[in-house]
Amino acid sequence: MLTKDLISRIAVATGLSKKQVEHLMSTNNAILRENLMAGKAVTLQGFGAFEVKERSPRVIVHPRTGERTISPGKNQLVFRPVDNLKDELKKI
Amino acid sequence: MAEKLSWTELRRILASRAGVSEKEANAFLTALNAEIVEALKTDKQVKINGLGIFKLQAVAPRKSVNIATGEAIIIDGYNKVAFVPEAGVKELIERGGVSPQPLPEGKGEDFAVVDPIKKLGSQAEEIVDILGELGQSPKEEEKPVKEPEPVSLPTPEPVKEPEPVKEPEPVVIPEPVKEPEPVFYVPQSQQVQEPEPPKKEEKRHHFLRDTLICVVILLLLLLVGYFFLRSQLGGWIDSLLQQEQTEQVAVVTDTTAAVLPAPIDSVIEEELTEEQILAEFLEASGETEGSETPDDQIYEDLITIEPMHEASRLTWMSKRFYGTKAYWPYIYDANKDHISNPCQIEVGTPIRVPKLTEAQKDTTSAAYRQLLQEAEEACRK
Repeated sequence: MLTKDLISRIAVATGLSKKQVEHLMSTNNAILRENLMAGKAVTLQGFGAFEVKERSPRVIVHPRTGERTISPGKNQLVFRPVDNLKDELKKI
Repeated sequence: MAEKLSWTELRRILASRAGVSEKEANAFLTALNAEIVEALKTDKQVKINGLGIFKLQAVAPRKSVNIATGEAIIIDGYNKVAFVPEAGVKELIERGGVSPQPLPEGKGEDFAVVDPIKKLGSQAEEIVDILGELGQSPKEEEKPVKEPEPVSLPTPEPVKEPEPVKEPEPVVIPEPVKEPEPVFYVPQSQQVQEPEPPKKEEKRHHFLRDTLICVVILLLLLLVGYFFLRSQLGGWIDSLLQQEQTEQVAVVTDTTAAVLPAPIDSVIEEELTEEQILAEFLEASGETEGSETPDDQIYEDLITIEPMHEASRLTWMSKRFYGTKAYWPYIYDANKDHISNPCQIEVGTPIRVPKLTEAQKDTTSAAYRQLLQEAEEACRK
Protein backbone atom coordinates (compact mmCIF):
# COMPACT_ATOMS: atom_id res chain seq x y z
CA MET A 1 0.00 0.00 0.00
CA LEU A 2 1.25 3.42 -0.84
CA THR A 3 1.08 6.66 1.10
CA LYS A 4 -1.80 7.95 -1.02
CA ASP A 5 -4.03 5.01 -0.22
CA LEU A 6 -3.08 5.17 3.42
CA ILE A 7 -4.02 8.86 3.56
CA SER A 8 -7.40 8.30 1.98
CA ARG A 9 -8.15 5.45 4.34
CA ILE A 10 -7.15 7.49 7.38
CA ALA A 11 -9.32 10.34 6.11
CA VAL A 12 -12.27 8.03 5.96
CA ALA A 13 -11.56 6.61 9.40
CA THR A 14 -11.12 9.96 11.16
CA GLY A 15 -13.53 12.11 9.22
CA LEU A 16 -10.80 14.63 8.42
CA SER A 17 -10.17 15.94 4.92
CA LYS A 18 -7.43 14.32 2.84
CA LYS A 19 -5.47 17.54 2.83
CA GLN A 20 -5.55 17.74 6.60
CA VAL A 21 -4.45 14.17 6.90
CA GLU A 22 -1.65 14.73 4.45
CA HIS A 23 -0.48 17.74 6.41
CA LEU A 24 -0.68 15.82 9.67
CA MET A 25 1.19 12.95 8.14
CA SER A 26 4.12 15.02 6.89
CA THR A 27 4.30 16.92 10.17
CA ASN A 28 4.24 13.67 12.07
CA ASN A 29 7.03 12.24 9.94
CA ALA A 30 9.09 15.37 10.43
CA ILE A 31 8.67 15.14 14.19
CA LEU A 32 9.68 11.51 14.15
CA ARG A 33 12.76 12.21 12.06
CA GLU A 34 13.92 15.06 14.22
CA ASN A 35 13.59 13.10 17.39
CA LEU A 36 15.23 10.03 16.00
CA MET A 37 18.06 12.09 14.64
CA ALA A 38 18.67 13.48 18.09
CA GLY A 39 18.91 9.91 19.35
CA LYS A 40 15.52 9.86 21.00
CA ALA A 41 13.29 6.83 20.83
CA VAL A 42 9.70 7.39 19.79
CA THR A 43 6.97 5.15 21.11
CA LEU A 44 3.73 4.77 19.25
CA GLN A 45 1.03 3.47 21.52
CA GLY A 46 -0.39 0.13 20.50
CA PHE A 47 1.93 -0.08 17.52
CA GLY A 48 5.58 -0.11 18.41
CA ALA A 49 8.64 1.97 18.97
CA PHE A 50 11.26 3.50 16.75
CA GLU A 51 14.65 3.31 18.32
CA VAL A 52 18.08 4.43 17.32
CA LYS A 53 20.72 1.85 18.01
CA GLU A 54 24.39 2.54 18.07
CA ARG A 55 26.62 0.38 15.95
CA SER A 56 30.16 0.64 17.20
CA PRO A 57 33.11 0.92 14.83
CA ARG A 58 34.61 -2.38 13.82
CA VAL A 59 37.48 -3.77 11.81
CA ILE A 60 36.41 -5.15 8.46
CA VAL A 61 38.57 -7.39 6.28
CA HIS A 62 38.34 -7.26 2.53
CA PRO A 63 37.65 -10.88 1.57
CA ARG A 64 39.77 -10.83 -1.56
CA THR A 65 42.73 -8.64 -0.66
CA GLY A 66 42.75 -9.28 3.07
CA GLU A 67 43.01 -5.55 3.59
CA ARG A 68 41.95 -4.39 7.02
CA THR A 69 40.04 -1.18 7.45
CA ILE A 70 37.95 0.32 10.16
CA SER A 71 34.34 0.73 9.37
CA PRO A 72 33.15 3.77 11.29
CA GLY A 73 30.34 3.23 13.68
CA LYS A 74 26.88 4.48 12.91
CA ASN A 75 23.43 4.75 14.29
CA GLN A 76 20.73 2.55 12.98
CA LEU A 77 17.03 3.03 13.01
CA VAL A 78 15.11 0.02 14.18
CA PHE A 79 11.43 -0.55 14.62
CA ARG A 80 10.23 -2.72 17.45
CA PRO A 81 6.57 -3.67 17.28
CA VAL A 82 4.72 -4.14 20.57
CA ASP A 83 4.21 -7.73 21.67
CA ASN A 84 0.48 -7.63 20.93
CA LEU A 85 1.11 -6.66 17.33
CA LYS A 86 3.87 -9.21 16.99
CA ASP A 87 1.61 -12.00 18.10
CA GLU A 88 -1.27 -10.71 16.03
CA LEU A 89 0.75 -10.73 12.84
CA LYS A 90 2.59 -13.94 13.49
CA LYS A 91 -0.21 -16.02 12.08
CA ILE A 92 -2.25 -14.63 9.26
CA MET B 1 19.39 6.68 24.02
CA ALA B 2 17.48 6.59 27.25
CA GLU B 3 15.49 9.57 26.14
CA LYS B 4 12.08 8.85 24.85
CA LEU B 5 9.35 10.75 23.14
CA SER B 6 6.16 9.48 24.66
CA TRP B 7 2.84 9.16 22.98
CA THR B 8 1.34 12.14 24.77
CA GLU B 9 4.31 14.32 23.99
CA LEU B 10 4.13 13.36 20.36
CA ARG B 11 0.46 14.15 20.30
CA ARG B 12 1.02 17.54 21.87
CA ILE B 13 3.83 18.49 19.56
CA LEU B 14 1.95 17.30 16.50
CA ALA B 15 -1.13 19.26 17.48
CA SER B 16 0.78 22.48 18.04
CA ARG B 17 2.92 22.09 14.93
CA ALA B 18 0.10 21.17 12.56
CA GLY B 19 -2.31 23.64 14.06
CA VAL B 20 -4.98 21.15 15.03
CA SER B 21 -6.52 20.18 18.33
CA GLU B 22 -4.94 17.45 20.43
CA LYS B 23 -8.05 15.40 19.98
CA GLU B 24 -7.70 15.46 16.25
CA ALA B 25 -4.03 14.69 16.47
CA ASN B 26 -4.81 11.72 18.69
CA ALA B 27 -7.46 10.50 16.29
CA PHE B 28 -5.04 10.79 13.42
CA LEU B 29 -2.29 8.92 15.18
CA THR B 30 -4.48 6.04 16.29
CA ALA B 31 -6.03 5.83 12.85
CA LEU B 32 -2.54 5.87 11.32
CA ASN B 33 -1.38 2.99 13.46
CA ALA B 34 -4.56 1.01 12.93
CA GLU B 35 -4.42 1.54 9.18
CA ILE B 36 -0.79 0.50 9.01
CA VAL B 37 -1.60 -2.70 10.86
CA GLU B 38 -4.59 -3.29 8.63
CA ALA B 39 -2.57 -2.64 5.49
CA LEU B 40 0.15 -4.98 6.71
CA LYS B 41 -2.43 -7.70 7.05
CA THR B 42 -3.87 -7.18 3.59
CA ASP B 43 -0.95 -5.97 1.48
CA LYS B 44 1.99 -7.07 3.62
CA GLN B 45 3.65 -3.79 2.81
CA VAL B 46 3.02 -0.14 3.61
CA LYS B 47 5.01 2.70 2.23
CA ILE B 48 5.07 5.98 4.07
CA ASN B 49 6.72 8.80 2.22
CA GLY B 50 9.30 10.61 4.27
CA LEU B 51 9.75 7.75 6.71
CA GLY B 52 10.10 4.32 5.21
CA ILE B 53 8.45 1.04 4.43
CA PHE B 54 6.81 -1.37 6.80
CA LYS B 55 6.95 -4.92 5.59
CA LEU B 56 5.54 -8.17 6.80
CA GLN B 57 8.27 -10.73 6.42
CA ALA B 58 7.60 -14.44 6.43
CA VAL B 59 10.02 -16.60 8.40
CA ALA B 60 10.03 -20.13 7.03
CA PRO B 61 9.51 -23.09 9.34
CA ARG B 62 12.72 -24.78 10.34
CA LYS B 63 13.94 -27.92 11.97
CA SER B 64 15.36 -27.87 15.42
CA VAL B 65 16.04 -30.16 18.35
CA ASN B 66 14.39 -30.26 21.72
CA ILE B 67 17.29 -29.52 24.02
CA ALA B 68 15.88 -31.52 26.91
CA THR B 69 15.03 -34.71 25.05
CA GLY B 70 17.12 -34.49 21.89
CA GLU B 71 13.95 -34.98 19.90
CA ALA B 72 13.73 -33.44 16.45
CA ILE B 73 11.04 -30.80 16.29
CA ILE B 74 9.85 -28.33 13.69
CA ILE B 75 9.61 -24.69 14.61
CA ASP B 76 6.61 -23.26 12.81
CA GLY B 77 7.03 -20.42 10.38
CA TYR B 78 5.75 -17.01 11.35
CA ASN B 79 5.57 -13.42 10.17
CA LYS B 80 7.47 -10.54 11.56
CA VAL B 81 7.31 -6.81 11.02
CA ALA B 82 10.31 -5.30 9.36
CA PHE B 83 10.89 -1.63 8.87
CA VAL B 84 13.18 -0.28 6.18
CA PRO B 85 13.86 3.44 6.54
CA GLU B 86 13.92 5.62 3.49
CA ALA B 87 17.40 6.25 2.08
CA GLY B 88 17.52 9.90 3.14
CA VAL B 89 16.17 9.17 6.58
CA LYS B 90 18.61 6.34 7.09
CA GLU B 91 21.53 8.50 6.16
CA LEU B 92 20.47 11.24 8.50
CA ILE B 93 20.07 8.88 11.39
CA GLU B 94 23.35 7.13 10.70
CA ARG B 95 25.09 10.42 11.16
CA GLY B 96 22.93 10.93 14.24
CA GLY B 97 23.67 13.85 16.47
CA VAL B 98 26.96 14.42 14.65
CA SER B 99 25.10 15.78 11.67
CA PRO B 100 25.99 19.44 11.46
CA GLN B 101 23.07 20.39 9.25
CA PRO B 102 19.64 20.80 10.76
CA LEU B 103 16.75 19.18 8.99
CA PRO B 104 14.50 21.64 7.17
CA GLU B 105 11.21 21.40 8.95
CA GLY B 106 8.07 19.93 7.48
CA LYS B 107 9.43 19.59 3.98
CA GLY B 108 8.47 15.97 3.45
CA GLU B 109 10.55 13.93 1.06
CA ASP B 110 12.47 16.78 -0.52
CA PHE B 111 14.24 17.67 2.70
CA ALA B 112 17.54 16.56 1.28
CA VAL B 113 17.49 19.23 -1.38
CA VAL B 114 18.59 22.43 0.23
CA ASP B 115 18.90 25.83 -1.30
CA PRO B 116 22.55 26.56 -0.62
CA ILE B 117 22.42 30.32 -0.75
CA LYS B 118 19.46 30.56 1.52
CA LYS B 119 21.13 28.04 3.77
CA LEU B 120 24.30 30.07 3.91
CA GLY B 121 22.42 33.16 4.81
CA SER B 122 20.48 31.52 7.61
CA GLN B 123 23.60 29.81 8.82
CA ALA B 124 25.44 33.09 9.00
CA GLU B 125 22.57 34.61 10.94
CA GLU B 126 22.51 31.69 13.28
CA ILE B 127 26.22 31.88 13.89
CA VAL B 128 25.97 35.55 14.64
CA ASP B 129 23.17 34.75 17.07
CA ILE B 130 25.13 31.98 18.66
CA LEU B 131 28.21 34.08 19.05
CA GLY B 132 26.13 36.77 20.61
CA GLU B 133 24.62 34.29 23.02
CA LEU B 134 27.95 32.79 23.82
CA GLY B 135 29.08 36.16 25.02
CA GLN B 136 26.14 36.20 27.48
CA SER B 137 25.21 32.66 28.51
CA PRO B 138 25.07 29.44 26.47
CA LYS B 139 21.62 28.24 27.54
CA GLU B 140 20.30 27.30 24.15
CA GLU B 141 20.80 23.58 24.71
CA GLU B 142 17.32 23.18 26.09
CA LYS B 143 15.68 22.91 22.66
CA PRO B 144 17.35 20.29 20.52
CA VAL B 145 14.08 19.39 18.86
CA LYS B 146 13.38 22.64 17.14
CA GLU B 147 16.94 23.58 16.42
CA PRO B 148 19.32 20.65 16.20
CA GLU B 149 22.13 23.14 15.59
CA PRO B 150 22.93 23.49 19.33
CA VAL B 151 24.13 19.92 19.29
CA SER B 152 27.30 21.06 17.66
CA LEU B 153 27.33 24.21 19.75
CA PRO B 154 30.21 23.78 22.16
CA THR B 155 32.91 23.02 19.62
CA PRO B 156 32.62 25.26 16.59
CA GLU B 157 33.29 28.66 18.16
CA PRO B 158 36.42 29.60 16.23
CA VAL B 159 36.11 27.12 13.38
CA LYS B 160 32.71 28.09 12.09
CA GLU B 161 33.27 31.80 11.95
CA PRO B 162 35.24 32.06 8.70
CA GLU B 163 33.27 29.37 6.93
CA PRO B 164 30.29 31.22 5.51
CA VAL B 165 32.42 34.24 4.61
CA LYS B 166 35.25 32.47 2.83
CA GLU B 167 33.49 29.82 0.82
CA PRO B 168 30.22 30.71 -0.77
CA GLU B 169 30.17 27.52 -2.81
CA PRO B 170 27.00 25.47 -3.11
CA VAL B 171 28.65 22.46 -1.49
CA VAL B 172 27.73 23.27 2.07
CA ILE B 173 26.31 19.94 3.08
CA PRO B 174 29.18 17.61 2.37
CA GLU B 175 31.79 20.00 3.65
CA PRO B 176 31.06 19.78 7.34
CA VAL B 177 30.45 16.10 6.91
CA LYS B 178 34.07 15.59 6.00
CA GLU B 179 35.21 17.11 9.23
CA PRO B 180 34.63 14.09 11.43
CA GLU B 181 36.09 11.71 8.89
CA PRO B 182 39.75 12.04 9.75
CA VAL B 183 38.83 11.08 13.28
CA PHE B 184 37.71 7.71 11.98
CA TYR B 185 40.32 7.17 9.36
CA VAL B 186 43.47 8.22 11.15
CA PRO B 187 43.61 5.02 13.18
CA GLN B 188 42.68 3.17 10.04
CA SER B 189 45.78 4.21 8.14
CA GLN B 190 47.90 3.23 11.09
CA GLN B 191 46.23 -0.11 11.38
CA VAL B 192 46.57 -0.84 7.73
CA GLN B 193 50.27 -0.17 7.71
CA GLU B 194 51.04 -2.16 10.81
CA PRO B 195 50.27 -5.64 9.52
CA GLU B 196 52.28 -5.12 6.34
CA PRO B 197 55.82 -5.87 7.56
CA PRO B 198 54.72 -9.14 9.23
CA LYS B 199 53.25 -10.12 5.87
CA LYS B 200 56.64 -9.74 4.22
CA GLU B 201 58.25 -11.76 6.96
CA GLU B 202 55.61 -14.37 6.51
CA LYS B 203 56.40 -14.52 2.81
CA ARG B 204 60.09 -14.91 3.60
CA HIS B 205 59.25 -17.72 6.00
CA HIS B 206 57.15 -19.38 3.36
CA PHE B 207 59.98 -19.10 0.88
CA LEU B 208 62.49 -20.58 3.30
CA ARG B 209 60.16 -23.41 4.18
CA ASP B 210 59.49 -24.21 0.54
CA THR B 211 63.19 -24.32 -0.35
CA LEU B 212 63.86 -26.52 2.69
CA ILE B 213 61.17 -28.95 1.60
CA CYS B 214 62.62 -28.99 -1.92
CA VAL B 215 66.11 -29.72 -0.62
CA VAL B 216 64.87 -32.53 1.62
CA ILE B 217 62.93 -34.11 -1.23
CA LEU B 218 65.99 -33.89 -3.51
CA LEU B 219 68.16 -35.53 -0.87
CA LEU B 220 65.65 -38.32 -0.45
CA LEU B 221 65.53 -38.88 -4.19
CA LEU B 222 69.32 -39.01 -4.35
CA LEU B 223 69.42 -41.54 -1.52
CA VAL B 224 66.85 -43.75 -3.20
CA GLY B 225 68.69 -43.48 -6.51
CA TYR B 226 71.98 -44.38 -4.79
CA PHE B 227 70.61 -47.51 -3.17
CA PHE B 228 68.90 -48.58 -6.35
CA LEU B 229 72.06 -48.18 -8.39
CA ARG B 230 74.09 -49.94 -5.74
CA SER B 231 71.82 -52.95 -5.71
CA GLN B 232 71.87 -53.07 -9.50
CA LEU B 233 75.57 -52.37 -9.96
CA GLY B 234 76.47 -54.48 -6.96
CA GLY B 235 74.91 -57.51 -8.62
CA TRP B 236 76.85 -56.86 -11.79
CA ILE B 237 80.12 -56.30 -9.97
CA ASP B 238 79.56 -59.39 -7.86
CA SER B 239 78.97 -61.49 -10.95
CA LEU B 240 82.28 -60.18 -12.29
CA LEU B 241 83.97 -60.86 -9.00
CA GLN B 242 82.54 -64.33 -8.91
CA GLN B 243 84.54 -65.28 -11.95
CA GLU B 244 87.70 -64.17 -10.23
CA GLN B 245 86.61 -65.83 -7.04
CA THR B 246 87.00 -69.25 -8.59
CA GLU B 247 90.70 -68.51 -8.58
CA GLN B 248 90.80 -66.73 -5.26
CA VAL B 249 88.31 -68.76 -3.26
CA ALA B 250 90.85 -69.45 -0.67
CA VAL B 251 91.49 -65.79 0.02
CA VAL B 252 87.81 -64.91 0.19
CA THR B 253 86.95 -67.75 2.51
CA ASP B 254 89.90 -66.88 4.65
CA THR B 255 88.74 -63.34 5.24
CA THR B 256 85.17 -64.35 5.88
CA ALA B 257 86.17 -67.18 8.08
CA ALA B 258 88.04 -64.72 10.23
CA VAL B 259 84.76 -62.87 10.74
CA LEU B 260 82.86 -66.04 11.55
CA PRO B 261 82.68 -66.20 15.31
CA ALA B 262 81.58 -69.80 15.66
CA PRO B 263 84.56 -72.08 14.95
CA ILE B 264 87.71 -70.90 16.62
CA ASP B 265 89.74 -73.59 14.94
CA SER B 266 89.05 -72.18 11.50
CA VAL B 267 90.63 -68.90 12.50
CA ILE B 268 93.78 -70.65 13.43
CA GLU B 269 94.03 -72.58 10.22
CA GLU B 270 95.63 -70.68 7.42
CA GLU B 271 93.53 -71.77 4.53
CA LEU B 272 89.94 -72.83 4.59
CA THR B 273 88.46 -74.53 1.64
CA GLU B 274 84.80 -74.74 0.85
CA GLU B 275 84.77 -78.34 1.86
CA GLN B 276 86.05 -77.53 5.30
CA ILE B 277 83.35 -74.90 5.87
CA LEU B 278 80.80 -77.34 4.61
CA ALA B 279 82.15 -79.95 6.94
CA GLU B 280 81.85 -77.60 9.89
CA PHE B 281 78.40 -76.71 8.77
CA LEU B 282 77.50 -80.35 8.56
CA GLU B 283 78.87 -80.94 12.02
CA ALA B 284 76.81 -78.02 13.35
CA SER B 285 73.61 -79.37 11.87
CA GLY B 286 74.66 -82.70 13.38
CA GLU B 287 72.29 -85.56 13.90
CA THR B 288 69.33 -84.25 11.89
CA GLU B 289 71.17 -85.18 8.75
CA GLY B 290 69.06 -88.20 8.05
CA SER B 291 65.60 -86.66 7.81
CA GLU B 292 64.32 -85.27 4.55
CA THR B 293 62.23 -82.28 5.69
CA PRO B 294 63.21 -78.99 4.08
CA ASP B 295 64.17 -77.61 7.50
CA ASP B 296 67.15 -79.89 7.53
CA GLN B 297 68.02 -79.48 3.91
CA ILE B 298 71.71 -79.60 3.36
CA TYR B 299 73.24 -77.31 0.85
CA GLU B 300 75.98 -79.28 -0.77
CA ASP B 301 77.71 -76.40 -2.39
CA LEU B 302 78.11 -72.77 -1.44
CA ILE B 303 78.44 -69.97 -3.92
CA THR B 304 80.12 -67.74 -1.40
CA ILE B 305 80.14 -66.57 2.17
CA GLU B 306 79.57 -62.89 2.44
CA PRO B 307 79.42 -60.63 5.46
CA MET B 308 76.15 -58.85 5.80
CA HIS B 309 76.71 -55.24 4.90
CA GLU B 310 74.68 -52.25 5.80
CA ALA B 311 71.41 -51.75 3.99
CA SER B 312 71.48 -55.24 2.51
CA ARG B 313 68.68 -57.77 2.77
CA LEU B 314 68.45 -61.48 2.19
CA THR B 315 66.03 -60.80 -0.62
CA TRP B 316 68.54 -58.52 -2.30
CA MET B 317 71.28 -61.05 -1.94
CA SER B 318 68.95 -63.63 -3.41
CA LYS B 319 68.34 -61.33 -6.33
CA ARG B 320 72.04 -60.76 -6.77
CA PHE B 321 73.05 -64.41 -6.73
CA TYR B 322 70.02 -66.14 -8.17
CA GLY B 323 68.47 -63.35 -10.23
CA THR B 324 65.24 -63.41 -8.24
CA LYS B 325 64.17 -62.39 -4.78
CA ALA B 326 62.10 -65.52 -4.42
CA TYR B 327 64.91 -67.76 -3.16
CA TRP B 328 65.74 -65.77 -0.05
CA PRO B 329 64.23 -68.45 2.23
CA TYR B 330 67.04 -70.81 1.17
CA ILE B 331 69.64 -68.29 2.25
CA TYR B 332 67.87 -67.95 5.56
CA ASP B 333 67.63 -71.69 5.85
CA ALA B 334 71.32 -72.07 5.24
CA ASN B 335 72.13 -69.57 7.99
CA LYS B 336 69.39 -70.48 10.45
CA ASP B 337 71.91 -71.58 13.04
CA HIS B 338 73.14 -68.06 13.73
CA ILE B 339 70.28 -65.89 12.46
CA SER B 340 67.17 -65.65 14.56
CA ASN B 341 65.30 -63.01 12.59
CA PRO B 342 65.99 -62.90 8.85
CA CYS B 343 64.57 -59.38 8.63
CA GLN B 344 66.96 -57.94 11.20
CA ILE B 345 70.45 -59.24 10.60
CA GLU B 346 73.34 -57.52 12.27
CA VAL B 347 75.84 -55.88 9.99
CA GLY B 348 78.92 -58.04 9.55
CA THR B 349 77.18 -61.35 10.14
CA PRO B 350 78.60 -63.85 7.64
CA ILE B 351 75.93 -65.18 5.32
CA ARG B 352 76.30 -68.46 3.53
CA VAL B 353 74.85 -68.38 0.06
CA PRO B 354 74.09 -71.95 -1.02
CA LYS B 355 73.99 -73.29 -4.54
CA LEU B 356 70.50 -74.38 -5.41
CA THR B 357 69.51 -77.54 -7.16
CA GLU B 358 66.92 -77.55 -9.91
CA ALA B 359 64.40 -79.11 -7.54
CA GLN B 360 64.89 -76.32 -5.02
CA LYS B 361 64.41 -73.68 -7.70
CA ASP B 362 60.83 -74.81 -8.23
CA THR B 363 58.88 -72.19 -6.32
CA THR B 364 55.66 -74.16 -6.60
CA SER B 365 56.93 -77.08 -4.59
CA ALA B 366 55.57 -77.80 -1.13
CA ALA B 367 59.05 -77.75 0.33
CA TYR B 368 59.66 -74.23 -0.91
CA ARG B 369 56.34 -73.03 0.37
CA GLN B 370 56.95 -74.46 3.77
CA LEU B 371 60.34 -72.86 3.90
CA LEU B 372 58.93 -69.54 2.85
CA GLN B 373 56.25 -69.71 5.51
CA GLU B 374 58.81 -70.56 8.11
CA ALA B 375 61.10 -67.73 7.08
CA GLU B 376 58.23 -65.26 7.12
CA GLU B 377 57.18 -66.43 10.54
CA ALA B 378 60.70 -65.96 11.81
CA CYS B 379 60.58 -62.48 10.36
CA ARG B 380 57.46 -61.66 12.32
CA LYS B 381 59.14 -62.49 15.61
